[in-house]
Amino acid sequence: MNEYDAIERDVLDVIDRWRATGVGLDDTSFDELARRIFAYQFTANEPYARYCKTVGTSEDTVRSWRSIPAVPAAAYKEATLATFDVSRAALAFETSGTTAGTGGRHYMKTSALYDAALSAGFDRFMLPDGARLRYLNLVPNPADRPQSSLGYMMAHVAATRGTGKTSWYVYGTTLLMDDFFRDLGELATDGEPALIATTAFALADVLDYADARGLQFRLPLGSRIMETGGFKGRARVVAREDLYARTSACFGIDENAIVAEYGMTELTSQWYDALPLRRKAAPPWLRARVVSPDGEERAEGVVGALVHVDLANLWSCAAVETEDLGARFGDEIVLLGRDAAAEPRGCSLDAETLALR
Amino acid sequence: MQRRSHSADAAAAIGDAAARWRHSDYPPRVRTQARIVERTGYSAPVVEYALDRLFGSISADALLKTIASEVGERRFHSIGRVAIISSRTTVGVAVVPAAFALCAGCSVLVKDREDALVASFFETLATERDAFASTARATQWNGERDAHDLSAYEAVVAFGGDDALRAIVPKLASEARFIAYGPKASIGYVTRETLPDEETATAIATGAARDLVLYNSEGCLSLHALFVERGGRVTPADFTRILATAVQEALVEFPLGERDAEAVARAASARNLAIFRGGPVYSDADANFVIETGSAARAPAFTPRVLAVHEVNGPEELEAYVARHALPLEACAVAGDRADVCDAAVRAGANRIALFGEMQNPPLSYAHGGRPRFAEFVRFISHDAP
Repeated sequence: MNEYDAIERDVLDVIDRWRATGVGLDDTSFDELARRIFAYQFTANEPYARYCKTVGTSEDTVRSWRSIPAVPAAAYKEATLATFDVSRAALAFETSGTTAGTGGRHYMKTSALYDAALSAGFDRFMLPDGARLRYLNLVPNPADRPQSSLGYMMAHVAATRGTGKTSWYVYGTTLLMDDFFRDLGELATDGEPALIATTAFALADVLDYADARGLQFRLPLGSRIMETGGFKGRARVVAREDLYARTSACFGIDENAIVAEYGMTELTSQWYDALPLRRKAAPPWLRARVVSPDGEERAEGVVGALVHVDLANLWSCAAVETEDLGARFGDEIVLLGRDAAAEPRGCSLDAETLALR
Repeated sequence: MQRRSHSADAAAAIGDAAARWRHSDYPPRVRTQARIVERTGYSAPVVEYALDRLFGSISADALLKTIASEVGERRFHSIGRVAIISSRTTVGVAVVPAAFALCAGCSVLVKDREDALVASFFETLATERDAFASTARATQWNGERDAHDLSAYEAVVAFGGDDALRAIVPKLASEARFIAYGPKASIGYVTRETLPDEETATAIATGAARDLVLYNSEGCLSLHALFVERGGRVTPADFTRILATAVQEALVEFPLGERDAEAVARAASARNLAIFRGGPVYSDADANFVIETGSAARAPAFTPRVLAVHEVNGPEELEAYVARHALPLEACAVAGDRADVCDAAVRAGANRIALFGEMQNPPLSYAHGGRPRFAEFVRFISHDAP
């Protein structure tokens, strides 16, 4: 067995064990697996290896998962970050926005790790009761946008955990409001619980539409909402508390039935709200470091940039640096900055405006 | 008919008020400066520079020269009421259009920022000339809740983002003049002739560094991309190294103010991405600045003090770059006296050709946004001969 096959098998075992028994990874096991993955990626991922060497890191100098160099998330737009021949990729997801005129891509050699990781996380945080639900997806339809990792994720969970009734309401930039509200009404009548997967800004638009028409529902017991994405880079910002209060009132569900997911195309695994504090929790193969600009790790509770170490990111780079802000509390993080966009202060053009023009 | 003596009287009063504001110990300035530091997060030396520059440029003579250059011998009359909305600016951008509108005899209302710079300056104006107490007003208002009725104004000057500007248009009277200043970027170009030795290159780099670091790169006159020609004795790579040193020195003169965590994370990410790209990168541990080699394929970072230096063979590459990224240009700093470079910058959209180090210090007559300063606020009168 090749080393990468062996590592894939070991990560899949971790995922399966956690799903079946709830047993996670102790520090030693996480560290050992992370360093094996780094050694593999250092050998097989040339752009990443070059970066590691530039910052003075090699296999010999990585003594802990905490010292694995994190590639900037934007680097996925600059180079093909993969450990294999991407012409044989089973999955390829596009990152949002571009800096070089071409979209960044996250390639995966097989779908096994991605499917297993997303399913296990989803089961734990969205379906802890094992409910089979109808899926109403206010996220890109993979039939329309196969490059969307979010669309793929929802299609996968709907196909494997749903009742067989799955609907999609986002096509391009169009939100099929009438269809969505017709289906909501149907749910309320039939008493069939559902999971609504939505981006934060689609949810805000839906609520505006409902408000304007005086629409209110009482979704069947067991219904829930997965919200993702925040408002970063959007002209419109809605405070999360307001968004959830309005959602609860409009759909007739408890606010605790609304769970925020935090993921990014450059990762394989996802973080989810851990109630009641709504800190973000992850499956045991995904950890975060909170760092200062010099890369030093911040103390618990201190805000800094988030670096994710995702052992399921076997086919690209396990350690990914983001511009998202957060603070660590034990194994959980508090995510900051995705909900609000600070008002630009100057009259300079900014990257978001340029991209929208 | 508007009497030119009105403009002269107004200009004299405005010039006198500005002269008082040029004194760093003038009490209203001292109080306002502290509030600007608090609002913007810029350091005190940066705010002090901004106020020196702003009020240093305003004099009766400069106002009248600009007016004369725009109206010549033509007759004119005040356009009427003017509203100035400065919701997205650095420091005091509303002051100059307000000054010209007052010289035109307009009644002016400024939507002021939390630091109340314009309101404080107008108070000084009113002590210089009683009439300004009623014709120059500044107030804070917050969005729709307490917005003034913009349809009541003959001209509306607005600084803001695309969405904010678009939202204003439906609120205007159909005949109103809408003088919009949207987000812009500025660039610089160093010709090979100006790079004969390190000393000369250092002087240019010192100016470029100042243009980069002032106001956290947030102004439309901030340096967002730099083009350096090949063929000089000092190579573009050497110039980049010299520039990095100059930026560190500029940060001593204009120290960073408060940096929020998001800006810090963004800068660190920009630095690490530059390292990933593999070219030479100049920065520091806290990512206070990042200077890297540019690529024609990459748009400017639009991150505070992050600058890409592009090696070019000629100004046509500047034009191609601006067109490729659809950059709306405001100014281009040029080192050297080459007409082909200035022409290329103008074709690319620049409204101003500036000197390095002076980009953020425009003269009063500068046609911001390519628009006249004074003529926007008057109606020109034709009087047919009998």
